[in-house]
Amino acid sequence: MFFILISIAAGAIVVIARILNTRLYEKIGLIESSFFNYFTGLLSSLILLAIFKDTITLGAFGHIPFWAYLGGILGVSVVISSSIVTPKMSTFYITLIIFIGQLFTGILIDCVALKTIPSAKIIGGLLVVAGLAYNLYVDSSAKDTV
Amino acid sequence: MYNVLSLLIGAIIAIMLAFNGELSKGLGNYFSLVIIHLVGFTTILVLMFYKKIKISFKNGLPLYLYSAGAISVFTVMFNNFSYAALGVSIPIALGLLGQIITSLAFDHYGFLGMPKIHFNKKKLIGLLIIIIGISIMTFL
Repeated sequence: MFFILISIAAGAIVVIARILNTRLYEKIGLIESSFFNYFTGLLSSLILLAIFKDTITLGAFGHIPFWAYLGGILGVSVVISSSIVTPKMSTFYITLIIFIGQLFTGILIDCVALKTIPSAKIIGGLLVVAGLAYNLYVDSSAKDTV
Repeated sequence: MYNVLSLLIGAIIAIMLAFNGELSKGLGNYFSLVIIHLVGFTTILVLMFYKKIKISFKNGLPLYLYSAGAISVFTVMFNNFSYAALGVSIPIALGLLGQIITSLAFDHYGFLGMPKIHFNKKKLIGLLIIIIGISIMTFL
């Protein structure tokens, strides 16, 4: 239950951070806002590390595949491309399309990692897309009548 | 064009979750948090050098606008926690439920100066289907 709640909270923070970042980007520029994004992020991480003090052995670095270190680069590309998309589309619509890409890539990664095809995840995922598509349809027909 | 870019953003996020999760498993939650942000910060510095951008701190902007990075740290941390326990796609599904509810609340109330888009009760049907779908993914 703990992991379910923090996963939902993680999603809520994504939306708030995306709005704040876009606002800053409109004021000072894309790369500049990303600079402050990662500057404050790095600072917060260092504070968290100082508080919780992970113990680390130097040998641990060698046991991790090289690609695992590249998450930060992917994060920058997400921040930059999100800032491009956010002013052009409604929050709900962006959430829908990013959802589809995220979910099915995630299911694909699980397929590869577990070497099985998780049918419950695919069926559940398709239901989620159906629900979102319905809400999107409600949105677009509401706009037509205004 | 923006649709394709949005789809790509989603795919990159999923791949990033697996990368960060593996790093967190190997290096510990907080140490990996520093590495992830250090790599990101370095990437930005390289981009700035390449595009010859200089940073100047503009006065008059509300400080909360600079907080996106500070709160995003908790998204990364929570995702890394969940990755070790639940894998990739379940935290994604649950995280997206959090995103949908938050997005709808922001649209409805116009938080943080977003244009108000009133909540249409018909959307409860879609939201219910979404929650059923996520439940099947998570509990079956």
